[in-house]
Amino acid sequence: MTGFRKGALLASGILMAAAPAFAKSELILAIGGEPDTGYDPLMGWGRYGHPLFQSTLLKRNAALKTVPDLASAWSLSDDRLVWTITLRPGVTFSDGTPLSAEDIAFTYNEAAKAGGALDLTVMEKATAIDDLTVEIRLKHPWVTFSESFYSLGIVPSDSYGPGYARNPVGSGPFKMVSWTEGEQLIVEANSDYYGPKPAFERLTFVFSGEDTSLAAARTGAVDMVSTPALMADDDIDGFQKVVVPSVDNRGLSFPMTAPGEVNGEKVGNEVTSDLAIRRAINLGLDRDQLVEVALNGYGHPAFGPADGLPWSNPDAAVPYDPDGARALLDEAGWIVGDDGVRARDGVKAAFDIYFPASDSVRQALAVVTAEQLKTLGIAARPMGATWEQIGRVDHSQPVMFGWGSHSPLEVYSLYNSAWGGVEFYNPGYFSDETVDAHFADAQNSASLEASYPDWQAAEWDGETGFSAKGLAGWAWLVNLDHVYFVNDCLDIGDTQIEPHGHGWPITAMIEQWKWSCD
Amino acid sequence: MTSIALRPVLSTVASSLGRLAAVLALVAVVAFALAKVSPVDPVNAYLGIDIARVGPEQRDLIAARWGLDQPPLAQFTLWLRNLLHGDLGYSMIYNAPVSEVIAARFWTSLPLVGLAWLFSGTFGFALGVIAGANSGSWVDRAIRFYAYFLSSAPTFWIAILLLIVFSVQLGWAPVCCAGPLGVTPDDVTLADRLRHLVLPLTALTVLGVAQVALHTRAKIIEILRCDAALYARAQGAGKWDVVLRHGVRNAALPAVTILFASLGELFGGSILAEQVFAYPGLGQAAVAAGVRGDVPLLLAVTLFLTLFVSAGNMIADMLYRLVDPRIRDEAFASGGGHG
Amino acid sequence: MAELQENAAYEPVVLPPMGARASTLAAAAIGFALILLIPVLAALAGPAGIAPDFSARLSMPDWQHWFGTDQMGRDMLARTLKGLKTSLWVGLLASACSVLIATVLAVVSIAGGKWADRLVSLLVDAAIGLPHLVLLILVCFALGGGPVAVTVAVAVTHWPRLTRILRAEVLQIRQAAYVVSARHFGRSWTAIGVSHILPHLLPQMLVGLVLMFPHAILHEASLTFLGFGLDPTRPAIGVMLADSMRYLTAGKWWLGLFPGLSLLFLVLCFDAVGNGLRVILDPRTAQT
Repeated sequence: MTGFRKGALLASGILMAAAPAFAKSELILAIGGEPDTGYDPLMGWGRYGHPLFQSTLLKRNAALKTVPDLASAWSLSDDRLVWTITLRPGVTFSDGTPLSAEDIAFTYNEAAKAGGALDLTVMEKATAIDDLTVEIRLKHPWVTFSESFYSLGIVPSDSYGPGYARNPVGSGPFKMVSWTEGEQLIVEANSDYYGPKPAFERLTFVFSGEDTSLAAARTGAVDMVSTPALMADDDIDGFQKVVVPSVDNRGLSFPMTAPGEVNGEKVGNEVTSDLAIRRAINLGLDRDQLVEVALNGYGHPAFGPADGLPWSNPDAAVPYDPDGARALLDEAGWIVGDDGVRARDGVKAAFDIYFPASDSVRQALAVVTAEQLKTLGIAARPMGATWEQIGRVDHSQPVMFGWGSHSPLEVYSLYNSAWGGVEFYNPGYFSDETVDAHFADAQNSASLEASYPDWQAAEWDGETGFSAKGLAGWAWLVNLDHVYFVNDCLDIGDTQIEPHGHGWPITAMIEQWKWSCD
Repeated sequence: MTSIALRPVLSTVASSLGRLAAVLALVAVVAFALAKVSPVDPVNAYLGIDIARVGPEQRDLIAARWGLDQPPLAQFTLWLRNLLHGDLGYSMIYNAPVSEVIAARFWTSLPLVGLAWLFSGTFGFALGVIAGANSGSWVDRAIRFYAYFLSSAPTFWIAILLLIVFSVQLGWAPVCCAGPLGVTPDDVTLADRLRHLVLPLTALTVLGVAQVALHTRAKIIEILRCDAALYARAQGAGKWDVVLRHGVRNAALPAVTILFASLGELFGGSILAEQVFAYPGLGQAAVAAGVRGDVPLLLAVTLFLTLFVSAGNMIADMLYRLVDPRIRDEAFASGGGHG
Repeated sequence: MAELQENAAYEPVVLPPMGARASTLAAAAIGFALILLIPVLAALAGPAGIAPDFSARLSMPDWQHWFGTDQMGRDMLARTLKGLKTSLWVGLLASACSVLIATVLAVVSIAGGKWADRLVSLLVDAAIGLPHLVLLILVCFALGGGPVAVTVAVAVTHWPRLTRILRAEVLQIRQAAYVVSARHFGRSWTAIGVSHILPHLLPQMLVGLVLMFPHAILHEASLTFLGFGLDPTRPAIGVMLADSMRYLTAGKWWLGLFPGLSLLFLVLCFDAVGNGLRVILDPRTAQT
């Protein structure tokens, strides 16, 4: 190629630097959240909200009320062991094949053994009774099993196989056009979709870094961009800022036991095993400042793992009271030493706060928390690490975890004694008979709604509980707001309280999105 | 010039290929061993934050599916056998066969690395000739200062600076990626590709130029001082006449040699540049594989790049012999403290 | 840049800008002084220097904070100094390790016979046959990541080129007339090694040591930048630069500019020192 032609090409390239004009039938979204493992529900795709390509048995509306999706009727047997689900007729997958009860049974049975990220181990077997009826049998009553109805996308039993994750076929509102890993995913409306047709023919999800996405928004190249809280103060011309509250929380786990070993792993911590320390930290942390500094104001103080959801107990919150915290520590015999750090019987009130190194928000939270604890006389040292490294210390040192789910199952796994030390569930070996009893009552309930009071009692029943008022198993710090810049012309309607995981939850309501300009 | 008989060349090529195979084998063993001693649990690495959502029974299922429940030696022989059959394994983080990932990434990286290689060669050579021919002048000083400054700067920092100036402040170049947002890869035009290539390419070229320029400059000065050049000048030939006739011809081969020997450096630079510009090439895949513990991909990228870089080194060695027939040391034919 | 060129292990990253011996030595002295200044200043800044100040987050460079402050309100100058100090330690360790490994391998390859020589040569070929950064990533992965892993990775991977150079040097000395005659007089190889070969190697080792610093430092920064150094609360140049990427589009240019520039100057300082050392130790340059 001659130098002249090359120069001409380069020049024309630069001239085309402006964003491609977007028709109103197409949206470009930079909301992150590219799935590492592809779009296979059996590998965990869709658990943070909408699977997009697939549909689920049930879904939640903006107010988190259950509405039917693939299922038209569902019921649980009296012994709470068998779910019977009736399907809506006439549903087809995007490749044209009909969706039947076989596919539901296949999806559930495969998911149970696929080894993906969705835990269905309580399930015994799923069986198709006829074309439109499926029966799911459980090993024991488990009220939170129904969570899978909302999060497990149904795959076709005929064509599911290797490679599905890259070329998903489902009955959801969209189907895949192309996916360039690390760059973008392009989808178009599924013409066979049974539900209300989305207003947009084609969506592009851009997976560039957060700063890159913001820069792209400034040039008008994208219609929606999720932004880290630290950068949410800027305004972008032609964009409105949509701040969505979430139960995406961050909290500090506490090793609950005295130092020792379980199965060769270091478990327990001399400092955090003291109730006075845990309570003092819960009292003495200025959660408003954490929100202000680490989240740039985009968030709310958190007091429990599921704030604002029907199974959390609003009475469990504790006020900010640093003097009370200091008094509590003095009373418990933690005396301030010459270096400003408290000690008791030669044990210094010191520990590490581990956080995943790649997460800037958790890093900021750990740093600010450590600074605040200094004023209480507690020496906390922020330590960045990989998840894998955290897995080696999480039973003996506090860790900055993030949770937040639309199901109370999560509360169960965080505080139930049987889950002590199981992966990152209940890393501190929280264990209390009263709390366990409340949990057992909850899981045995006839319905999710009926189980709410039991979950609440586990958090705080007036005498004890896992909350800061009771045993203070964790110090919950903040609930994040998810911040999006949305094109002024794009009307996304009402939003849900979003679960853990930034990005995809916003698409749960995609069918109601409209373009309001001409 | 030297005329070379065919047989020695063939035997040199043959022994080089044998050596290449030995190097690849050694790298394969060492890389696999390194991956196996890693305390990073591949299942945990794969799950990431989802460790929290998966029970132990399911973890065992995942481990079994990847053959991680086998002893290390069995895993190695299995890996090697698959490798020889062309099966590079399955990438956990991209959820696709490693060979597919590598192929896709390679074609994205190729224009970047290839053009950077070409440009650093041509520009570096041109700058070196200009500096050498004008040694001591302000042009020479400027070129040397440029080379001195840039070869001391971290690659990724230069890339960040380019990003700040040309993408953020001036808005001339896109901030990332290998193509525009919202366009299917098949629909990306050549112009778009070039536009996204410009900045990473500049970062790589700007840095690659330095070495070639400095070596060419030294060679040109040396040549201009040799008897033949002085004789030509004495006979009335112009400076540029001599530079072009003697200098360029004799300095070209060393420059090409340096270029081949610097492939490793170039790929190293591309890893950093691709990271900064979010350019989805081989380098970015290597980093992702390393950070997130995707062993099959990491091993495959390692072997793949070793093939390229080692081949480059071997070619450089052979060129070295052409340039400087004095090198005869068998075992250390790949040159060394010469200069 | 970040890779060693063919003979760069004992050449400076580039040739000295000025030929004159005096100015090279002066530059070396200044460079050395500046390097020594880093740990001193870092110590002076103390732990209070990098304490967060939540009221002064992301402020532009001014007289109070010459390099500005980061998102936690920490002074970037103090962080940069501490980062450079970390770099110095990693560089020192890496250089020392590499010189040690290279010397051992060079001696083994000469003294150990044909097969040892071939094996060492194959090792060197393999080590330079893959991009250095990939090798570093592999070692980091093998060690599970973290600051220690980065240090070890940088320390154990910089020997190949120096091995070649030292080996060539040993070979040359061994064939030198006085060694040959010493051998004739019945002295053992060990004795010759100690009395003749080692003293000749020392200057090469010393220059190699100093000129190894920049490469080690740049590699350490690259690795931490790519995310292998992890712990983002410990100041390291690579971490600071990686962090700065988050704020680029928000116009916080000072987060990226100053740490990189400081690193660049540190590298230049080491180059100057290495050059000076070469001039002092290598009599051949005395005339130029």
